[in-house]
Amino acid sequence: MTYLSKTIILVAGLALAACTNPDRFADGDGSGTGGAGLSGAASDPTSSAYFQQAVGDRVLFAVDQSTLSAQAQSTLDAQAQWLMTNSDYTAVIEGHADEQGTREYNLALGARRANSVRDYLVSRGVADNRLRTVSYGKERPIEICSEEACYTKNRRAVTVLAAGSVS
Amino acid sequence: MPRVNTGQIISGTAHLAVIGWVFFGGVLQSDPPQVEVVEAVAVSSEEYAAIMARQSAPEAAADVDTPEPPEAGEAAPALSSGTDAAPEVNRPEVSDTPPPDARPEAPERPAPAPTDVTDTPPALTAPSEDTAALVPETSLRPQPRPAPRVAPEPVAPSEPDVRVDDVARPEVAPEEGADAVEDQQEATAPEEATTEIVTEAERPETPVPTASVRPRARPTRLAEAEADTETATAPPEPTPPEPTPPDTDRDAVSDALAAALGQDSAPAERRPSGPPLSAGEKDALRVAVQQCWNVGSLSSDALATTVVVAVSMAETGKPEMSSIRMLSHTGGSASAAQQAYEAARRAIIRCGADGFDLPQEKYAQWRDIEMTFNPEKMRIK
Amino acid sequence: MIRSFLTLLAALTFWAMPATAQENSGPLRLEITEGVIEPMPFAVPDLVAESAQARDLATRIARVIAADLSGTGLFREIPAEAHIGRITNFDSPVQFADWRAINAQALVTGAVSLDGAGRVVVKFRIHDVFAGQELGRGQQLVGEEDGWRRIAHKVADQVYSRITGEGGYFDSRVVFVSESGPKGERAKRLAIVDYDGANLRYLTDASTIVLAPRFSPTGDRVLYTSYETGFPRIYLLDVADVGRRALPTLDGTMSFAPRFSPDGRTVLYSLTQGGNTDLYTMDIASGASVRLTNAPSIETAPSYSPDGSRIVFESDRSGSPQLYIMEARGGEAQRISFGRGRYGTPVWSPRGDLVAFTKQAEGRFHIGVMRTDGSEERLLTASFLDEGPTWAPNGRVIMFTRETRGEQGEARLYTVDITGRNLRQVPTNGGASDPSWGPLQE
Repeated sequence: MTYLSKTIILVAGLALAACTNPDRFADGDGSGTGGAGLSGAASDPTSSAYFQQAVGDRVLFAVDQSTLSAQAQSTLDAQAQWLMTNSDYTAVIEGHADEQGTREYNLALGARRANSVRDYLVSRGVADNRLRTVSYGKERPIEICSEEACYTKNRRAVTVLAAGSVS
Repeated sequence: MPRVNTGQIISGTAHLAVIGWVFFGGVLQSDPPQVEVVEAVAVSSEEYAAIMARQSAPEAAADVDTPEPPEAGEAAPALSSGTDAAPEVNRPEVSDTPPPDARPEAPERPAPAPTDVTDTPPALTAPSEDTAALVPETSLRPQPRPAPRVAPEPVAPSEPDVRVDDVARPEVAPEEGADAVEDQQEATAPEEATTEIVTEAERPETPVPTASVRPRARPTRLAEAEADTETATAPPEPTPPEPTPPDTDRDAVSDALAAALGQDSAPAERRPSGPPLSAGEKDALRVAVQQCWNVGSLSSDALATTVVVAVSMAETGKPEMSSIRMLSHTGGSASAAQQAYEAARRAIIRCGADGFDLPQEKYAQWRDIEMTFNPEKMRIK
Repeated sequence: MIRSFLTLLAALTFWAMPATAQENSGPLRLEITEGVIEPMPFAVPDLVAESAQARDLATRIARVIAADLSGTGLFREIPAEAHIGRITNFDSPVQFADWRAINAQALVTGAVSLDGAGRVVVKFRIHDVFAGQELGRGQQLVGEEDGWRRIAHKVADQVYSRITGEGGYFDSRVVFVSESGPKGERAKRLAIVDYDGANLRYLTDASTIVLAPRFSPTGDRVLYTSYETGFPRIYLLDVADVGRRALPTLDGTMSFAPRFSPDGRTVLYSLTQGGNTDLYTMDIASGASVRLTNAPSIETAPSYSPDGSRIVFESDRSGSPQLYIMEARGGEAQRISFGRGRYGTPVWSPRGDLVAFTKQAEGRFHIGVMRTDGSEERLLTASFLDEGPTWAPNGRVIMFTRETRGEQGEARLYTVDITGRNLRQVPTNGGASDPSWGPLQE
């Protein structure tokens, strides 16, 4: 009896989890290559593919830093421009760190990076209710070698587009 | 949107699989069979006494079973609920229990440990890139090699055939026809040892050459030690030895008896107390005991405890086991003192098993010994 | 009769010649300060099977006891092939000479029987071979047959504790993150194992990232961080039925790095809001949170002192991550780490005297310990990436994550004695990280 009811509850729970997780997860996919089912040719300037490839969806950071370089700022200027034009989109900004740090500290560091991107975009006119931040710390490196060449690409903040409201 | 369709198919399949798995595979089986270890029930004192009594009378014990101690109410087995006792179905994700007769070894080790997995930290051969990041090791200090044993003096690895022992002994072959007192013994050598614990963090990354320089020269130490002991023993204790309780000390009894009956009076009677032991003689005894004083299996609390242990020696130089007792302890808790004392006792008994090398003519000087075991120096190894 | 006559005579003899007998000058006094540090040789012959069905268990239990003791690095087993003596009856006197001959310094004897109701009864004794006597008293343990490993661990805990004076830790479990898949998209799920790697069981599936679990003080619940909602959030999981619930959080924030207070009622954790991470506590029953730190720097990886009065944590308020201690209710914090490099993940030892930490210096990671005032720092390990120490319940051993470098890099669990000796890998059947060592089980 107890076993049966518990099983039913858990089955239901698991089914739910299985339903929601992949979608949620794709939204926040740390690789930053997703776009979560938002398709469209890169030639279409309103597509997420265009945002990713032509505008540039990511900025890089120096070791332990969350300040934006001049290059990062120009990328973000373009992102802000695009987001203002394509107001149907919302975005989740993912912060990442390289593997040279402890797990929890890197989580906090990634959050700092994501937030500095968010603050910059807001300062450039993007409504702040269209932006959310999340940190993956060192959990989702895009390059997996243990060299500075990879670390430098992993210390990043990626603006991942989603359709509709964020929260 | 073919991608979504594929996704739906995958999702659907996965759902079915998951649901099937849940129902038939028992993935949600909750806890493993609840282990109800009824807590360590100490054998009651009556039983214990009974067990001990049987020990001295083994014949009687042969067919008597140890009675089960009454199980206290609170130690009663908690009946597992229906939920806990979920049917045992094959759980795909749960690994098999590793073979019970060995501590399961991990499937892949980063690098094979050189010799003895038990004692030697896995020597992770540092990838060459690592070395670049390191400050070159320029220390001139000889690096102690990691060895499972830490001893006052470093010991080089012994020859392969030699049995490890606490005392280095020459090989003794039975002499033909001779009234050989000494047993035949194989050659032994002290186990390989280093002088201090070397942690992984303290080890240089590149393997240390095996022919490393020995860090310390012995002569200086001995000289120091002699100086120490000389001053320490300068004022002889005025207290006379208490007559040993006659029924516990057979040797004393027989000595005294022999003396009283006037037999064999030369050695036993006015055994001259002789001059005090020389510093060298005392040092030899000290060294002999410390070779067996193993503090490697003591708690940090016990390692902070100094114990004073009394022992009476037979004329053969062997400690009398029943005479060994703890006189006092300082530094740690009473329970830590017990472990510290037991380690000291093992040292005396083990290294005294063949008799300490002490001058016969000074027997009265070393018949009763008080040894202070102070592990302070061993804590920082 | 004859004996008492001799005794009397002997006593008279002593009286008769006081001058000469008392010439010697009291006991010889020696101070022993240099000893050796080496594993103590011990023997655990197979237990005596007191019923035919128990024969298999008699061997298996003895093997687990021996593996536990050897695994500490403080003991070295003398294998059965070398034994001369045989234990055939639990209550017969031990022939100590047989065990002295093979230099076994400790001997564990035992007997096992099955009571017919699926329960195992194990009796055991610990002997000091050279002193020729039993250490402590014989004991008996009763448990269910499929819990035989726990019984063996409990016996080993008693032996270890009786000989070394340390508390035991063998009958304990570890919760950790089991890892699989490529480095760029590692699948992670919570798992629980016995301290020696046996009885692995998963607590979550691999559908989302889970991080840094922590056992409750009683070992029945686990706190961890999960990306189940797409954002890091703290969950509370019941170990027995794997039921879990998310703890309340503020929208638009991240919460992570949860730790139980010593009484198990409060969660100490990090909350990130607007890019800034601070420490908070939450009452588990009510969900009410209290903010402990309020600084623009990162404050994370906290750990309570065993008495719950203070908190050690990691902060980069000085410019790089360092360790700090403050009162449990917050307020002024004292920096305790001053060596070269970055310090993180401090964990207060169960005895309260030490803090274990991760240190990053000169391109390498270390696990180290220091006193709570920052003195006597000692690094125990060194590798490409060591992190996240957790203490054995007795405070003598530390478990941590070691990750190898490169594209094929993988994480594994290791243990090391607080002296820095006896580094060992914990078998975990694949990648493993973020261990949390639970308490000694009841």
